[in-house]
Amino acid sequence: MLSVLKLKGLWKRIPRLSAIAGALVLVAVCIVGLKVWVWGLSLADVLPRTQYSVRLSMRLDGNDDSVVVRSFLPMSDARQQIRDEQVADASLSHAVVTEGMNRKVIWTGRHVPDGVLLSTRVDVVVQPIRYEIDPGLHLPASYPLSIARYLKPAPYIQVDSPEIEEEVRRIGADHGTILERLGAIYARTSALTARPFKGTTDALTALRLGEASCNGKSRLFVALARQAGIPTRLVGGLVMNPGTTRTTHQWVESYVGGHWVPFDPTNGYFARLPEHYLELYTGDEVLFTHTRDINFEYQFWVSTELVPAQVASAVPGAFNLWGVFERSGLPFSLLRTLLTLPVGALVVVLCRNVVGVPTWGTFLPALLAAAMAETGLFWGLLSWITVIAVVGLLRSTLQDLNLLHAPLLAILLAFVAATLLGMAVVADFVGNAQLSRATIFPIAVTAISAERFYMSISDDGMPDALKRLAGTTAVILACYLVMNSLAVQMLLVAFPEVLLGVVALELYLGRWVGIRLSEYFRFRGLLVEETP
Amino acid sequence: MKLNRWRSVWRDLLVRRQNVVGINRRNVELIYPFNERRHFAIADDKLVAKEVLTRLGVPVPRLLGVANGLHEVGGLLARIEGEEHFVVKPAQSSGGQGLLVVGEQVAPGVWIKAGGGRVTLAQIRQHVANIVFGAFSKDRPDRAYVEERIQAHPVYQRLWQDGLSDLRIITLRGTPLMAMLRVPTAASGGVANLHQGGIGLAIDIETGRTVRASFRGRPIERHPDNGERLIGVEQPEWDKVLDTARRASRVPLAYLGTDIVVDRDGRTLVLELNARPGLEIQNVNGQGLGTRLMEVLG
Repeated sequence: MLSVLKLKGLWKRIPRLSAIAGALVLVAVCIVGLKVWVWGLSLADVLPRTQYSVRLSMRLDGNDDSVVVRSFLPMSDARQQIRDEQVADASLSHAVVTEGMNRKVIWTGRHVPDGVLLSTRVDVVVQPIRYEIDPGLHLPASYPLSIARYLKPAPYIQVDSPEIEEEVRRIGADHGTILERLGAIYARTSALTARPFKGTTDALTALRLGEASCNGKSRLFVALARQAGIPTRLVGGLVMNPGTTRTTHQWVESYVGGHWVPFDPTNGYFARLPEHYLELYTGDEVLFTHTRDINFEYQFWVSTELVPAQVASAVPGAFNLWGVFERSGLPFSLLRTLLTLPVGALVVVLCRNVVGVPTWGTFLPALLAAAMAETGLFWGLLSWITVIAVVGLLRSTLQDLNLLHAPLLAILLAFVAATLLGMAVVADFVGNAQLSRATIFPIAVTAISAERFYMSISDDGMPDALKRLAGTTAVILACYLVMNSLAVQMLLVAFPEVLLGVVALELYLGRWVGIRLSEYFRFRGLLVEETP
Repeated sequence: MKLNRWRSVWRDLLVRRQNVVGINRRNVELIYPFNERRHFAIADDKLVAKEVLTRLGVPVPRLLGVANGLHEVGGLLARIEGEEHFVVKPAQSSGGQGLLVVGEQVAPGVWIKAGGGRVTLAQIRQHVANIVFGAFSKDRPDRAYVEERIQAHPVYQRLWQDGLSDLRIITLRGTPLMAMLRVPTAASGGVANLHQGGIGLAIDIETGRTVRASFRGRPIERHPDNGERLIGVEQPEWDKVLDTARRASRVPLAYLGTDIVVDRDGRTLVLELNARPGLEIQNVNGQGLGTRLMEVLG
């Protein structure tokens, strides 16, 4: 087909293009190879992890005096990794302070109105952890001073009590290896009858009653272990089951061979913890302390989502984009947006030049899809469609005024802003926190879409503008599906060099002369013989 | 049985699609190699086209005046005060937008408008100002111009009275590839644009006769409004039309669509040039451009 044309017109271009595209693919393959074979990046390093999003919301009434609310924020450690954290305060102000080994968030306010809402949100990825305790390990002769204090009695942990002493002897935790002692204590405490007690149960009470909730069992564990010579402390946190809960959890950590090893006698974890445990604080603390008489209420809301894993730290420096972002304190969502946008643009190119869908602009659908990744597809689409609808209605009023272009668009922008503000007001009025997310939708892309739609109505007429609107919406959906696909994100986070391949593909598409899918319809009379 | 039929349809389609030029192929294989971007202005601005064509000795409708900027509107109006039968046009509009077709003068400063109604000098002034402001050129400032109103050749008058039928000839390096005639309908409102409801008629380049007609994508044989026969119509001055197209293609756009009208005196006048033609004409002709391209280039 058109061989002469090709020879004449493209002879010089095709080899150069192929060379560039080939070089791009080659570079990409080399970097991927380097990562896999030299630095040992394996599939396990890039498999997605469950990310827990924990939202703590609190409601309180004010009083005439000042109000103080304290709670804990989790810290990153070997087991749990905090990926994002937000603290919101209505008319109060907050400070985050480190106290001992814990991070505290303290809200303070004066003349606080009733019904104030406070919240924190953390996104956390947790690795399940398991320790092997050396069966031959005996109690050391002494502990460092900082550790030795975890052998002392505390108000609810009556280490010195004769009953505790007697119990340690009775279960045989006063002799033998560390593993044997811990085994006996674990067996004793987990055998207590479970009772959903509210409030604080001290170690002695738990022992006497023979029944306890998590905090009683854990305190008894701590008391027995300390009596047996093993430094042990309480840990408080949350069992992250998706949904809402008010129940927090307590377990313990014992200092064995230089490590703090977790035990949960309530739920049966010996020297290990599963993925869905979020540690909030260590020590015999209370999760909330606050000014009295403020009708304090709280609730946790847990949701999960799969996210790409952090690339193995074996990959050095600039080749580990995640590492770069982490060191710079940039959020993961930004990395995701930057990496997936070029792929979104490729989807747009495919939709336009291969399928033949009419859209506004090349980047706009990809940018809108990226924005919708932040707000959620439904709320993003709702926001966008609402703004477009408002622009459509506005047009019928404005077109008779014969305004000049620039002032007209300025008016349009004001209405776009007003629409988003209106949505925030409505969200607040009907008490739908989800709807208010639609307001976060970036005004920049929304305003550009509004302008494009308006211009499209003037230039192409309403039917064509609506066709383009439908086309743009379809392409946004396609971009969203691809850009939000976990597989694509995993691939790009681990191997951003894949984007070179995307460019190579676009070079090919840039010279692709095939018939667009929509043209099979347009030229159907030429392509298919009509049946008589 | 059925499967075999589909298979043959599919095989047929693979062969036929070699011959059809889609947007991608037109851009990559025809426009980019043959038409340099910097020359697009010749086609995109009707006044530039007029100048270039006049220099090449190609006949165009007589220019009565131009308004380049608001300050020239008064001068342009002074030029046309005594005129009759003229058209006010924006230089950069597309799809026949912003055309004001004016007929006889019935009183000083009052004319009959094509398609009925009257138009005053003040209204023309307003229209010219709108054009200059960019009302028909996506808000970019534009030039307005006035040229003589073409009286169509009797052959075309018979096909459709109010509104102008025009011929589109696609040339590659001066060789005509394909031709069609566009005839207005009641639905197209005097404009011969196909997607605004004009009729497209395929012309056999050898004979100058119409061989097919299609209206809104369907083949027809008679004009849907007046029942005039559309097939087998012989084009007046066909050789002169082809010659005009060849001469017009001396502009530096090797792949070119030239829009030509034949007036009642047999003049062949170029209305405008198109630097990106070639898609819908294939449907009108019931034939892809591929074969013709190979003949011309091979």
